[in-house]
Amino acid sequence: MTVTAPEMLVGASTDFLKRFSPFNRMEPDALHFLAHRAALAFHPRGSEILTPEMGQARHFFIIQRGKVQSRQTGPASVTEYSSMTMGPGECFPIGAVSASRPSTNAYVAVEDSFCFQITADDFMQLMQMSPVFHLFCTQYIASLLNQSRQQLQSTFSQRAAEQQTMTTPLAQLIKREPIFVGPDCSARMALEKMAESGIGCMVIADDAQRPLGILTQSDLLRRLLLPGVDLSLPISEVMTANPHQLPCSASAYDAALEMATHAIRHLLVVDSDGQLQGVVSERDLFSLQRISLRQIRAGIESAADIESLRRASQDIRQLALNLIAQGIGAEQLTQFISALNDALTRRIIGLALEHHELYGIDFAWVAFGSEGRHEQTLSTDQDNGIIWTCPELQDAQPLRLRLITFAREVNDNLAACGFPLCKGNIMASNPDLCLTLDEWRGRFGSWIREPDPQALLNASIFFDFRVLYGNERLGDHLRAWLNKSAKSNSAFQRMMASNALQVAPPLGRIRDFVVDDDGTVDLKKSGARLFVDVARILALRTGVESSSTVQRLRRAATKMGVPNEEVAAIIDGFHFIQLLRLRSQHLDTEHDDANDNKVNPETLNELDRRILKEAFRQARKLQLRLKLDYQL
Amino acid sequence: MNWLSRLLPGRDEARPSNTATRALIEQWAAIPDVDPNKPHFETRYVVVNTEASGLDLERDTLLSVAAIAIVEGQILPSDSYYATLGDHAAAALGGLVEFAGKSPLVVFSAEFNRTLIERAFEAHLGFTPELIWLDLYVLLPALFPDRLARPARLAEWMEVFGIETFQRHHALGDAWVIAQLMLAIQARALPQGAFNARLLADIERSRRQLQRQT
Repeated sequence: MTVTAPEMLVGASTDFLKRFSPFNRMEPDALHFLAHRAALAFHPRGSEILTPEMGQARHFFIIQRGKVQSRQTGPASVTEYSSMTMGPGECFPIGAVSASRPSTNAYVAVEDSFCFQITADDFMQLMQMSPVFHLFCTQYIASLLNQSRQQLQSTFSQRAAEQQTMTTPLAQLIKREPIFVGPDCSARMALEKMAESGIGCMVIADDAQRPLGILTQSDLLRRLLLPGVDLSLPISEVMTANPHQLPCSASAYDAALEMATHAIRHLLVVDSDGQLQGVVSERDLFSLQRISLRQIRAGIESAADIESLRRASQDIRQLALNLIAQGIGAEQLTQFISALNDALTRRIIGLALEHHELYGIDFAWVAFGSEGRHEQTLSTDQDNGIIWTCPELQDAQPLRLRLITFAREVNDNLAACGFPLCKGNIMASNPDLCLTLDEWRGRFGSWIREPDPQALLNASIFFDFRVLYGNERLGDHLRAWLNKSAKSNSAFQRMMASNALQVAPPLGRIRDFVVDDDGTVDLKKSGARLFVDVARILALRTGVESSSTVQRLRRAATKMGVPNEEVAAIIDGFHFIQLLRLRSQHLDTEHDDANDNKVNPETLNELDRRILKEAFRQARKLQLRLKLDYQL
Repeated sequence: MNWLSRLLPGRDEARPSNTATRALIEQWAAIPDVDPNKPHFETRYVVVNTEASGLDLERDTLLSVAAIAIVEGQILPSDSYYATLGDHAAAALGGLVEFAGKSPLVVFSAEFNRTLIERAFEAHLGFTPELIWLDLYVLLPALFPDRLARPARLAEWMEVFGIETFQRHHALGDAWVIAQLMLAIQARALPQGAFNARLLADIERSRRQLQRQT
């Protein structure tokens, strides 16, 4: 007996699996393990294979034959698809089994089906054994993240459209002088004019410019071409008489309603005398000119006073909303907000410098905390300070006082522009934070040498610094010095690590999330911060100079040889949490609010909840790594 | 040592010793009886299939045996058995007895397979274990009259269920098909009230009677 029965049957399963991705790329050992552990079971047509009610998913299924339908069971329209049919070689549920939680979808056999199944434990082991399979699962989850983002965007487009488009008066939507012809103009001439001007419809008006009729592109086929109408006939013979019109003062909303009611694509806009002012098309309503990045930026840079900067800061808020609607991810979005806030701050500093004599003082205005990390959300108070150098043979004290007076004005003006004063007085006008380069080094050095709880807290705010204005080299010096000092002090790193592990991701053993008394999860405290804290430590350890969490993670990972996919998954998780934070700030309040970072998982849709859980799992993974590295 | 190894012929032994066979019988007898009233889910079924030199029961002989277990309604590839008889017929058949234990056996066409196997048991082991035999050749049309109302060949049932195998007409290759058909039988039998081996055997018996009458 050369080949045993199990070997033959495992071989047969292997051959089957090899016909499908990702199994065809899987490492031989892993594939053999899978084929060996895979039990075959039958699911008659109409039977439920896996449903949320069955509780924690205990098996991973690979369809061998037949068809299985995956149906969303939560609130409708969670993703673009509400049900999806899967065939041989496809597998489920990846998310649920890797997260040890109930499936969010119901899987029902729509034909008599055979499925291979392995236990959740074997699934986990397979993930560990097989980088290919691991990547496959990671990418699958990443695609969920992507889907959710798209969905988020559609929520926002709708909202932005409502806010901006729908209340705009039609007079503002008209893009060009009205183009029209008289009723006696020949059809041919009218068509030529349409083609020439590249317009979708031709208006026919009388001598007083009052509309008489309209001919749209969609009319051409039915009224002119198919009946073979003589093109020398006057246009009034083929036009639609008594076209729909609205006054200039009507809103885009009225226009949309009128179009929907009469199933038309074009509306004529007339003034109070009934004179044609222009045409509004369905498309105009959806492609409204929005506040652009460039406009705001130009506005900020040319602003002559605080009042115009204050308006600019409101525009920034509005822009953020539009940017989400246009499909920008959390990373770019926070970068845009950050860039504009930087420009705003620079302009405020520039205005203040006009009446503060600081000539000859070498200084840098730095941002700390989230601003320092380029991760500002829309309700961030100011965290800033000054690094300066005292010229030799000069008394530091008077110079410091001048800087502080200047800083106070900047702080107040920032507050006027929507950046609330820092409650903890982390502001450049605080003499404690208006320090020379040497003083900063001394301060940072003492925290590193004696990392008591307060020092660690300080480190978590001040080590994320970034120069906003002034001499950048001061910041570079401080950064280089800090990285060197922290890198060589592993005891300090270890304390930072232990501090970072104080808060665990709010993942429950039984329920999905561990929530606070009010049923919410704090996305800042027990979400974003988990990533930020670990990233800071990794950056110090590997000497990464960036202050942004994502950059820190990416570069540290490269240095430490962590696979790209793994980092990408972690970063996706971080972005998702940031996006949820931005969303809750927008949708809930539009103003600063203590609850800005709180989200009630119950109010999230199935998919978001699922992804949030995955994001927290990524945080846990990151923490676990730290725990192992520092043996905590 | 595995008692089975004693069945393997030594250098100058052409036939297994009587002691080895006796040990096998004792071992088998010691296995607790399987309760045929237990639901499918709690019953280990063993699909058995053969390969013979031909289809003539009078002339042809058994070449190899294969068996696949079904536990909790699932087939696990590692829980299977295959052996060629050749010079080691007693060992091959002893292995089958050991693998099957007292589980109900499932075959496709008992008339041929059961006869061949029991005859071989008698010839090489001098002993025929008493077991429940289920015949899918009879049970399939009884439970799936909507698909095929008459007894049909294995190939036809494969087509009905879209079942494939890695090697047709191989004892294990066909056993793989029969095992999958048995999974379908279990699923179909439940809603019809035939939730255990005894009830399936009852269906089979009445079906045979019906066929004889008509």
